[in-house]
Order: sequence, then C-alpha cells, then structure tokens
Amino acid sequence: MTSGGIESQASVKQWAASPGLGQDPAEVREQKLGILEDFCTKVDKQPDELVAFCILRKKATGERFLSVKRREAINNWLDEFVDEQGWTGKQAVVNANVVRSFLIHNGVLIQGRVWRG
Amino acid sequence: MEFKQVVGNRRTIRFFDPNRPVEPEKIQVMLEAANRASRAVNADFAKAIVCYRDELTDEVREALKTPTSTVQIDLAPVTIFWYGDTTFVNGAQDRLKELVDLGALPVTHGWTHPYVDDLVYPQVLEPLSKDALATTWAVSVEAGLAIAQAMLAGVDEGLGVGLHAFNAAGAKEVLKVPDTWVPMWILLVGYPAEDAKGGGQRPRRPLSESYYRGQYGSPWVEIPEVTERLKREGMIQEPMPADATERMKEIKQLADRFGLPS
Repeated sequence: MTSGGIESQASVKQWAASPGLGQDPAEVREQKLGILEDFCTKVDKQPDELVAFCILRKKATGERFLSVKRREAINNWLDEFVDEQGWTGKQAVVNANVVRSFLIHNGVLIQGRVWRG
Repeated sequence: MEFKQVVGNRRTIRFFDPNRPVEPEKIQVMLEAANRASRAVNADFAKAIVCYRDELTDEVREALKTPTSTVQIDLAPVTIFWYGDTTFVNGAQDRLKELVDLGALPVTHGWTHPYVDDLVYPQVLEPLSKDALATTWAVSVEAGLAIAQAMLAGVDEGLGVGLHAFNAAGAKEVLKVPDTWVPMWILLVGYPAEDAKGGGQRPRRPLSESYYRGQYGSPWVEIPEVTERLKREGMIQEPMPADATERMKEIKQLADRFGLPS
C-alpha cells in the first residue's frame, strides 16, 4: 500500500480535511500518512476498515456503537507497532498518537499514552 | 477565595501538569469538605479512595484505564475514586437518636426516640434499603453532594479538578472495594497545565429554562441587579468566546507538549 493509495480512502480524506492533518506542512503530512500506512500494513486493514473495526452494531437494534474491546485491541497493536518500529521516548508517544488522530477525526474516541517528559 | 468566586472559577480541567505534585494537605481539605456535606440520616454515603498516580504499580494503573480515560488518568497526579455506600441504613437508628438528643432533630418538628424506632426505621429506612432502585437513588444523590463539596474545596485550594466516568470493574479488582459500594465518579486532581479558567465559562442556559416559581411553566424571573452583582463577585464570568481561535491554539500547544493527537 502506498500513501497515494490510502489517500483515496474516505476515512483518510476525512482526516485530511481536519486540523489533525489538513493544517500540517507537506512533509509532516507525508510523514503522518506514512505512519498510518505502515500501521495499516501491520494489521492488514485498509484505513476505512480500521475505522469500521472500532464500530459494531447491537444485535437487537442494529444501532452503531464504539467497541471498548476493539479500541483496546487497537491500543495493543499500537504498542506492538511502536516496539517493532524501535521508537522510544516522546517519538513513541507522538507517532502512536498519529494513528489515534486518524481514528479520532473519524469519530472514534480513543486515548493512549501521554508524554510526561 | 470567596465562595462565589470558587463556584465561578470551577472548570473541568482536562490538561493537568503531570509533574507538579499535589500536596496531601490539600487533598485532606477536599476530603474534609466532603465529610461536612449535608447527608440524610447522618450516614456516610460517600466513600473515596485517593490514588496518587506515581504510587500505583504499572499493572494497577493499566487496570484503571479505558480507551476513553487514559489521557486524563496519566496526566492527573491524583485520582479520587468516589463510591456510594449502600449500607447507609446500618446504624441509622442510633445516629438519628443521637441527633434527637443533641437537638439537631428537634422535638418541635416531631422528632423523638419512639418516632425513630417505631416509624422512621421500620417503615421508611428498612424498606428503602431493600429497594435497589431507591437505594441507588439515595446513595447517588447523597454521594453527589459530598463530591461537589470536595470538588469546590479543591478549586478553593488552587487546584484543577474534573469528574469522569471510570472502569468500575477494573477499579473494583485493584482497589479491593466492598461489594456494597456503588461506583460514582473519579475526581481528577492536579495543577492545571491549561489556563485554569479554561478559556471562559462553559455555555449555560438562562435560569428561566430550568427553574420555576410556584409551579412548572412559571419560569424564575431573574433580578438583573443580582445577575450584575454575581458578575462583579465572580460567580458569573465571561463565557468562552464563539471565536475559539485562542483556545484551539492553546490545545495545539498542549498536544505538542504531551505528544497527544491533534
């Protein structure tokens, strides 16, 4: 998957239109897209699928809801991803939160690590 | 700080200075404020466990987090877990009769030991304690009063505060709370890393939309002089501006500082 490829996904367009990505300089934007792309490769999901993974439907009513367990799974994958990339310190926190920014701007409230310095 | 200023200054703080310790003395002030709250049957409805973030093991800290609370719990040096005790009826007879003896429950209003023993306890309190919905209602209201006082005492001590939901199942296991405690809220405490006034007071509807005189449908009519006085005395403050540029700039700076998504 290339960043050109993921940019055609609706969820990535939505992220790109938000302050989470849209206001960044081109090189930062490319870097963030690269992180998302690498994460998507790791978990073998397209960005749209990643968003959909967090949202389930109630069997009885069909109502959509954000799954806590699925978001915990994302956080666990992000921990693995950070280790695999060899990121440490603030970089580890910031880069994992790039993926969370993508999810947040697609309506998925997800929180992860904080850099306390 | 004057009471009205405390009420006016309170905000839900979401960005705490994670490395500035909170003095236990200030936490004690908050707990004592809770302990002084109005309460039915003079019962200790509100229970709390004070957790200093850096005293928790990684395992415990992780158990307390959820995908919706991790950032706040990581940033706040102190988390107070509030519960309501459903065993509030235990000892209620003795406590009520003590208040009768002290004159807090006066005979002028009909209070006597026989009234407590023969009516209040068997006909009101005991049935209430066996009704799960009524018990939850009583415990929630009464604990809420105590939590509110603790929160305002924190503001008075110069601290930032914020109430949130929490992972009750995870907390029950690691904090070892009794089965009779019902989870209420967590109160996060620390020194604000954001503007303590949070960019202004949050939007509120006028009194007339929620408060009535005499009967529903007859809205409370504000007395303009009182409204003006409350502005001078700090209870009513400047609202958050519709143009949120400055607030958004502050949030971006905080996101950069803490490595958070933006």
